[in-house]
Amino acid sequence: MDKEVDGILVVAHELKAPLAVLRQLAFSLGDLNLKDERSRSQMISVSERAIKQVNDLIKIRRLEDGLFEMEPVSVREVCDAVSRELQYLFRYNNRDLFIKYSNRARLVTANRELLYSVIYNFLLNAMHYSGDETRAELIVKDYRNKVKVVVRDYGPTLPIDVWKEMRRGWVEKPLSIAMRPGSSGLGLFIASNFARFMNAKIGAVRHRDGTSFFIELPISKQASLF
Amino acid sequence: MIFVIDDDAIMAECIKDAIYGDAELFSNAIDAMNRIADGIIPDLIFLDILLDGPDGFTFLNELVSYSDTANIPVIIVSSIDFSNQDLSNYGVVGYLNKDTMTPDDIKGFVNEYCKQRY
Repeated sequence: MDKEVDGILVVAHELKAPLAVLRQLAFSLGDLNLKDERSRSQMISVSERAIKQVNDLIKIRRLEDGLFEMEPVSVREVCDAVSRELQYLFRYNNRDLFIKYSNRARLVTANRELLYSVIYNFLLNAMHYSGDETRAELIVKDYRNKVKVVVRDYGPTLPIDVWKEMRRGWVEKPLSIAMRPGSSGLGLFIASNFARFMNAKIGAVRHRDGTSFFIELPISKQASLF
Repeated sequence: MIFVIDDDAIMAECIKDAIYGDAELFSNAIDAMNRIADGIIPDLIFLDILLDGPDGFTFLNELVSYSDTANIPVIIVSSIDFSNQDLSNYGVVGYLNKDTMTPDDIKGFVNEYCKQRY
């Protein structure tokens, strides 16, 4: 593993405990007025997202430990779960989330936990970059012999150099996405590593008014019971 | 009496706040064992696993080795996910994940396992 990347993962591990403590401290603030209660909710929400990202980074280090089995996974169920979790955040930031499922193949070969993180990172990214009162889109469709999950945002277009790096199917290390302010590309790096482990492919499409990120997953040969 | 054993003092305080009752904090397993040896038998223990010095499993092993402590219910509080492992032979009756637990989760265990309601 790249030394720089390994360093990032070590730091992530060290951040885990303090973030969990911060979250608990927010809970222990006692009775608060309405305004402070709102701040508490934000503190908890921000810590939880940071914990999630740190946990994802730690998982990258453990991908080869045999902890993440590949199995038939229902894409729609995972998308539903992720969008449910992020619904509050979208609403809070005045963004809409449009969801469309047109896939006929219901099951893909993946690891549910890792796929959840990939879609979570894509959606969080889309929410962050879509402007006020705009929407992000989550679309699941069949694509050749695969299922494609696409997350479209209406923010700044992805820089061409990042797009080129993504064309090969993965991102080597976190990269600063200059035209997308405030981004370290960490979510993309996480998604890329998880996708690679699952033999899936990630990529991006540049639009004039935004970017679509996608993951293509192999269809499971097991018959769907759904 | 409830014991909270965690080497992170702030996390231990947060758990104590949620218990809202008679709880004693320990930063390591040895101090908690010494307290028990002094005759203070807790109704419930919240135990972190990765501790300075002897870890949580060493502590659990000690607990089950003596008849008067073998049946103390223990809740594991950790960032490591133990929920798929059966540690009931060690008196473990529940798990709390530090990343996701809430004060209500802690209170729930207190209400369920303490003779004296807090």
